Amino acid sequence: MRHDDKFVRTAAWLAALGALFGTAPAGAQSAGSVLLRAGVTHIKPNADSGDLSPPSLPGTKASARSDTQLGAGLTYMVTDHIAVDIPLATPFKHELDGDGAINGVGKIGEVKSLPITVMGQYRFFDANAPLRPYVGAGVTYAKFYKGQSTSALSGLTGGTPSNPTTISVESKFAATVEVGATYAVDEHWFVDATVAHTFLKTRATLSTGQTLDMKLDPDTFALAVGYKF
Amino acid sequence: MRQIRSRALLALACALLLAACGGGGSDTSTRVHIASVKVMGDSLADSGTFGFKFTVQGAQSFIYPERVAANFGVGTLCPFYVYTGSTFTTNASCTNYAIGGGRINNVSAPASPVSIVQQLVNAGAVNRYSATDLLIIDGGGNDAADLVGAYLKVQSDSGASYAALLQTVLPAETVLAALAQGAAGFASIGGSYMTALADVFYDAIKTNALDKGAQHVVVLNMPGITNTPRFQAVLDAIAAANGGGTAGATARASAESLFKSWFVAFNNELAAKFNGNSNVVLVDFYQSFNDQIASPGQYSLTNVTTPACPPTGLGGDGLPTYDFPTCTDAALSAMTPPAGSDGTANWWKSYAFSDGFHPTPYAHDLLARRILKSLADAGWL
Repeated sequence: MRHDDKFVRTAAWLAALGALFGTAPAGAQSAGSVLLRAGVTHIKPNADSGDLSPPSLPGTKASARSDTQLGAGLTYMVTDHIAVDIPLATPFKHELDGDGAINGVGKIGEVKSLPITVMGQYRFFDANAPLRPYVGAGVTYAKFYKGQSTSALSGLTGGTPSNPTTISVESKFAATVEVGATYAVDEHWFVDATVAHTFLKTRATLSTGQTLDMKLDPDTFALAVGYKF
Repeated sequence: MRQIRSRALLALACALLLAACGGGGSDTSTRVHIASVKVMGDSLADSGTFGFKFTVQGAQSFIYPERVAANFGVGTLCPFYVYTGSTFTTNASCTNYAIGGGRINNVSAPASPVSIVQQLVNAGAVNRYSATDLLIIDGGGNDAADLVGAYLKVQSDSGASYAALLQTVLPAETVLAALAQGAAGFASIGGSYMTALADVFYDAIKTNALDKGAQHVVVLNMPGITNTPRFQAVLDAIAAANGGGTAGATARASAESLFKSWFVAFNNELAAKFNGNSNVVLVDFYQSFNDQIASPGQYSLTNVTTPACPPTGLGGDGLPTYDFPTCTDAALSAMTPPAGSDGTANWWKSYAFSDGFHPTPYAHDLLARRILKSLADAGWL
């Protein structure tokens, strides 16, 4: 709910800015335009963990840390207002910490993630407006791979260095919504800022057969410089 | 534009290719480097002083200190003391000093290595501990059994055994004054004994380990031995001796509650003594053991009341006896699985107790996990 409020406020703010700058001349994002961008992308999971299945201390949970990577993206304007957007980024690495009953054991593992997303966007204002706020919705395939456990996780689950407990996280499809804006600096160059929220639930499975369900619901913050062709 | 699109597709393909790069595995490094593990304690920690372990025998039957050591990359532990049938010889290349029957207060032979205090003295005499030594120390279970046993003899020997045991740690006048108060005094002086015993344990660890450079010391507090099948049978006998029924149940509950208060007295004192000492991790074995008995399913235990090993006879105290050397993993797996077990050859692997007083290898595993959690909390693992 908190995030929804933030979205509404951001959108309203962007709309107000748009009204101020909406009349300045700039390059058009019109039907057929292709926009390429590159920058940084930060993913902040809002982990809400279930309990690790037995044998475990009751309430054994996990939390996930944020990560920042190089970001990029490709947008194709289908009409002057409707766009298809594919955000790209180098793979993220999320460190996992003990939580709940094992809050305090520190890092229990890490997993790499590669969110593959296709968004449909609606871009406000004229094709020529320098500031174009947009909203979008789409689908994300959250690819998780290279799960790596620590000695803490292994020790907590009966592993040893010669036979360590390992961890894998299920890759999942999830819905993503976003708000953002581009600001055209000149005919070709623009800056792009996006805040997205993904509704993502997944399950971590240990080599012991134990499972841990997690709602990750990450927020994504991306800032990029783009070029319109 | 076509070119740009294909380049973007290429970027996406590269990203996907990275994703296909395969598995991760495990980072088995520990935050504190441990090169040697030294163990002092009782049967729970004994790697084979008598030629067997106090659990189900087998190549995979690791006891808890062995599992903890393995997690720090230290290989199998071997017994420092070897029992010859009449005395203990030593094997200087081994670092596990624990002996089955080990007591903090080994009344009959205080200088024998069966005394955990003596184990600490002997180990401290040959070792100058360093930051890469991990010491694992348990004790108190057999002491608690001695105290409960002496207390239960009060009716038959007018408290002679109880008074004698108490006076090995407490001043004679304190003991006599308490016993003169009758039943209430008999009960409360047991708690005073356990508190004083914790002081003895603490002093021995401080003098012989901490003052000799040990920086990574794991101490287990005392388990609630009334959870064991042996002491459950003792409590049942108390109920029967009090006429069974409600009166028996009341007597049983009152005795159990008294004994637990003694264990707690020991554990509280130990916690107070080690409080704030960053070189010591005090593991709450007492609570962990209680939790496993109360919620077996949470710990994947299927039986927390019946020993897995078959009884081999009846002891002088009327309780079943067991024979560890013949209680092997192969023998148990070859047995017809008991009713109520999972019905497979692995039936005994989810039992908590091997005999009436000792854990199965799986219960050792669970204890090791609990210890390793505390070590992770401390930033050592």
